[in-house]
Amino acid sequence: MELFDYSLFVSAIRMVSPILLAALGGALCARVGIFNVGLEGLILAGAFSAIVGNHFTENIFLALLTAVAVSVLVSLLFGYATIHLKSNPIVAGIAINFLMLGLTTFALRAIFDVKGAYYNKDMSGLPKVDIPFVEDIPVVGQLISGHSPLVYTAFLAAILLYVFFYRTVTGFRVLAVGKNEAAARSLGLKVTTIQYGAIIMSGVLCGLAGAQLSLGQVTMFTEGMTAGRGFIALVAMMLGQSHPIGIAGSSLLFGLMDALSIRLQGFSMPTQFTAMLPYVITIIAMFFLKDRGSDSLAGQHTSR
Amino acid sequence: MSYVVEMLNIRKEFPGIVANDNISLSLRKGEIHALLGENGAGKSTLMGVLFGMYQPEKGVIKVDGKEVRITNPNVANRLGIGMVHQHFKLVDNFTVTENIILGSEPVKGMVLDIDSAAKKIAELSKHYGLNVDPHAKIEDISVGMQQRVEIMKMLYREAEVLIFDEPTAVLTPVEIKELMKIMKNLIKEGKSIIIITHKLKEIKAVADRCTVIRRGKSIGTVNVAEASEASLAEMMVGRHVSFKVDKKESTPSDVVLKIDGVSVKNNRKVLGVKDVSLEVKKGEILGIAGVDGNGQSELVEAITGLRKVEAGRIFLNGEEITNLPIKSRIQKGLGHIPEDRQKRGLVLDYTMESNMVLEVYNKQPFSKYGLLNMPAIRKYAKNILQNFDVRSGEGAASIARTLSGGNQQKAIIGRELELDPDLLIAVQPTRGLDVGSIEYIHRRLIEHRDKGKAVLLVSLELDEVLQLSDRIAIVNNGELVGEVKASETNENEVGLMMAGVGKERNV
Amino acid sequence: MMLPQRLHKLFTPLIQPLLAVLIGLLAGAIAISFVGEPVFETYKAMWEGAFGNFYFLTSTLARATPILLVGLGVALAFRAGVFNLGSEGQMVLGAVSAALAALCIPGPPVVKLLAAIVAGMLAGGLWALLAGWMESRFKVQLLISTLLLNYVAVLFASYLVAGPFQDKTGSAALAQTPMIDQGAWLPKLFPGMSVHMGFVIAIVCAVVLIVILKYTAPGYEVKMLGLNPFFAQYGGVNKVKLLLLSMFFSGALAGLAGSVEVLGSQYRYVDGALTAPGFAWTGMMAALLANSNPLGTVVTAILLAALETGAMGMERNTEVPLEVASVIQAVLILFISAKLTLKLVKFRRKEREVHGTV
Repeated sequence: MELFDYSLFVSAIRMVSPILLAALGGALCARVGIFNVGLEGLILAGAFSAIVGNHFTENIFLALLTAVAVSVLVSLLFGYATIHLKSNPIVAGIAINFLMLGLTTFALRAIFDVKGAYYNKDMSGLPKVDIPFVEDIPVVGQLISGHSPLVYTAFLAAILLYVFFYRTVTGFRVLAVGKNEAAARSLGLKVTTIQYGAIIMSGVLCGLAGAQLSLGQVTMFTEGMTAGRGFIALVAMMLGQSHPIGIAGSSLLFGLMDALSIRLQGFSMPTQFTAMLPYVITIIAMFFLKDRGSDSLAGQHTSR
Repeated sequence: MSYVVEMLNIRKEFPGIVANDNISLSLRKGEIHALLGENGAGKSTLMGVLFGMYQPEKGVIKVDGKEVRITNPNVANRLGIGMVHQHFKLVDNFTVTENIILGSEPVKGMVLDIDSAAKKIAELSKHYGLNVDPHAKIEDISVGMQQRVEIMKMLYREAEVLIFDEPTAVLTPVEIKELMKIMKNLIKEGKSIIIITHKLKEIKAVADRCTVIRRGKSIGTVNVAEASEASLAEMMVGRHVSFKVDKKESTPSDVVLKIDGVSVKNNRKVLGVKDVSLEVKKGEILGIAGVDGNGQSELVEAITGLRKVEAGRIFLNGEEITNLPIKSRIQKGLGHIPEDRQKRGLVLDYTMESNMVLEVYNKQPFSKYGLLNMPAIRKYAKNILQNFDVRSGEGAASIARTLSGGNQQKAIIGRELELDPDLLIAVQPTRGLDVGSIEYIHRRLIEHRDKGKAVLLVSLELDEVLQLSDRIAIVNNGELVGEVKASETNENEVGLMMAGVGKERNV
Repeated sequence: MMLPQRLHKLFTPLIQPLLAVLIGLLAGAIAISFVGEPVFETYKAMWEGAFGNFYFLTSTLARATPILLVGLGVALAFRAGVFNLGSEGQMVLGAVSAALAALCIPGPPVVKLLAAIVAGMLAGGLWALLAGWMESRFKVQLLISTLLLNYVAVLFASYLVAGPFQDKTGSAALAQTPMIDQGAWLPKLFPGMSVHMGFVIAIVCAVVLIVILKYTAPGYEVKMLGLNPFFAQYGGVNKVKLLLLSMFFSGALAGLAGSVEVLGSQYRYVDGALTAPGFAWTGMMAALLANSNPLGTVVTAILLAALETGAMGMERNTEVPLEVASVIQAVLILFISAKLTLKLVKFRRKEREVHGTV
């Protein structure tokens, strides 16, 4: 087996979508001044509820809708805690991650009566979209065509978000709120509404990210299957400086690492080391962050 | 007589205090009306009520003779009332145009129409003689220009009544004159202005009438032409105040602080202090005059060790301290009253006793073998709080946050003076305080000088620098413009130098 | 001070946690009724499972041991103002190092035991120090790096015990080390009960931490750094040194948690045996719940452990999955950080502030 070939990049494009979707959601929150550490939990909620929706409705579209609805609900909880109850967003985000880990594991037993993972071979996952004409182009066709609709949605979302930020009035206001909340408030902008809007949208995006995880490749749910992807998405977001196109780029890097990590399993190397790869690369990527955010000593006050 | 705004018998309570007690203020069309009062007198509350940020418990507000209820700032805006905030509310990396249109953006189809907005803003700017570049980024323009953007925001929204909240605090004397010209232009165009201030000179210079409030109560409204600065001051404070600071001629001797060609980078990673050389001697107060953001903070941080020095050397009592850690500098006799008392000066959620031992907790008798001696710490703190007349609910056990600003500041000054530092650096030591506290703090600083210690005073209040200092060094854009003797200069001269007009003179 | 005011001062800090507990139990009740079980009986079964008899009580304390140690470490880091989310990795590396030290270092059992504990603490401490160093030297955000380092540490430990140090004696090739000499085990506190000497060590650590934070100069520095880093810097506290020290000891405590778990109850490092029960995360929740107060962490660690052992008891006797415990825990955390009742406190403060004006 070769290390680098087309199929590696094909799987990279597939792996990129959950990270990209979640990172875009994180960017929306960051742009309104909320550091969303709860992405991990939101994705997990989406992944699980996509399976639940699929199980009960046997309709892939309704499954996606369930995933989105549940993630939005959870994101609203996060929003309520941070905006209304003024919780430390980091603590609230961590709590959301715990909550979803606990709830999905609990519900896995309550609904499917299994522990660890749920798999049903009769359940159909997301369809593959073959793009007419494009699929016939050599190389490019292989790369671009034949992915799940969510892969295309992810890239489309990046472009839409770019247009939203830099061309529309609402996007303009979102940016203003994030840069200087007091200024926005003084001009009568409904800051709270805008923040909730961003959080809800991040719920939508994370719900889709989760659905791609559980329905995209193999149709199954495992406990804690996000495995730090929410945090990798956060790094992708920071690396892309919350700019949609930048995020698309950095997410591609992490997607490639994910794909590579799976690919390397085929080589005679301990699986533990190949599995480490995405995390190590992410940490290394953090050395290159331009906008490193506040240094944790200056900005984050743990005491309430 | 037609009034554009009438605030009648306004009463606003906050838990435990009456911030406004039966205050009335009527604004004539086309006048500049000053609202005068000390810090904490209730000026901002009153204007907050007018601007819809607070709801009054009692009283009536009329706009153009009609009674109105202003439930939030948007309502105020719709009624044609606009506020130019003291702390500008601008988005730094947005352009002038983007800042002005935010919240009432013109659109073309679905898309933001910046170009037509910029055109409209350029016209407005020309009309009122504001000279603002609609395409400049906020972070690239001067503070004076930023203030004009704030004014433009109100004009763009067609405000008829403009409230200026302490507008001159951040301006150079030259910029202040320009601002006054702008205000008079606005009046000519039929706008009406309320200016909140505690600076008497400015009231005399620009206002038509003046309403004075003290401790939440209305003292009266006077025609400015018929009042003197002294009579206004007495109305404001409630007793006769002389703004002269009593002090003897200084007798400077040995050099305590010597700064030799120091350059320092600022937060934007460019040189914020450029090749500055200074000396401060025993028994003198050296004042640094300059407009905010001209390198004062960076210079102080370089001396205290909070910021790295790029070039040059710093000596304390003849010993080089350029690269010493902060702790050693403190031990070598450096005291520092920080610029922002709540950010650096105190741990707000901690008790006063913990706050008072910041520099000495690791010394005997306060700690031994690493263990803290709480009784000794308590005694030390009590002593400072008593000596410096710091009033707090539960004495040394009080949480710092519960103290008033004046008492917090007195405690910090007490803590630093208790160390009896050879060099005391006082940055904005009286910002936001009432006259009583200001007088007290000034007295303690002079006492420290008279003990034969050196004091480096940095203040944005030119009056304070002129009154307290023996010598004055003027900075502009990170450079030392000149040095003058306080007794041989005046506001005009220093003001010109603050604006960058150089002057060399040997002192 | 008047009596009502004093009462107010005493009870105000309690309103918040009590309210959070109430909401947490409510969330649990919803989950329980979702499964179709009676709420009251289920909670009763949970109580029995945690404190029902001496055996259950000691099991709860045994479970609380690593949770408490991790919690103390996290509390220390939080106090210094840093979010150490890396306890899991620090604990696991500590555990595997302790196991390997006990196996490999020659000498009498006591030496092995001590060496194991030191090795465990060092491993955990150094792993945390790595994140601290990256933060202070390269501004790599600790919050995220510590979390990602967990995966690296857990995978690395897994590699060690599935590869070079695997126990080859058993018939099945489990990913675990060989068993440690019985002499190097931490003794049990009561015969036949699972609580071991590690619990005493944890309590001693808590006391030491309380004393350090409250009565020593370094403790004063740590608190100042956490409450207002600008103030600490202005007062001449060496921020970087203190950050590194706090991270080291925070990680060392997590490493100790792993070590005592290995030396006191597993007697070998088994892959996944420390991560599956989520000791590290529960420990972090204990610290969060206690607002990083070490004494409070003792209480919350035991309570959260009780919630978990109780849930196991509940699972034995009812149809409710034990994960209901993690739901309750997470909801607790979500609401404990809310500024809900603090509004009331602030309100009072403002009042006093005004009275205090000259």
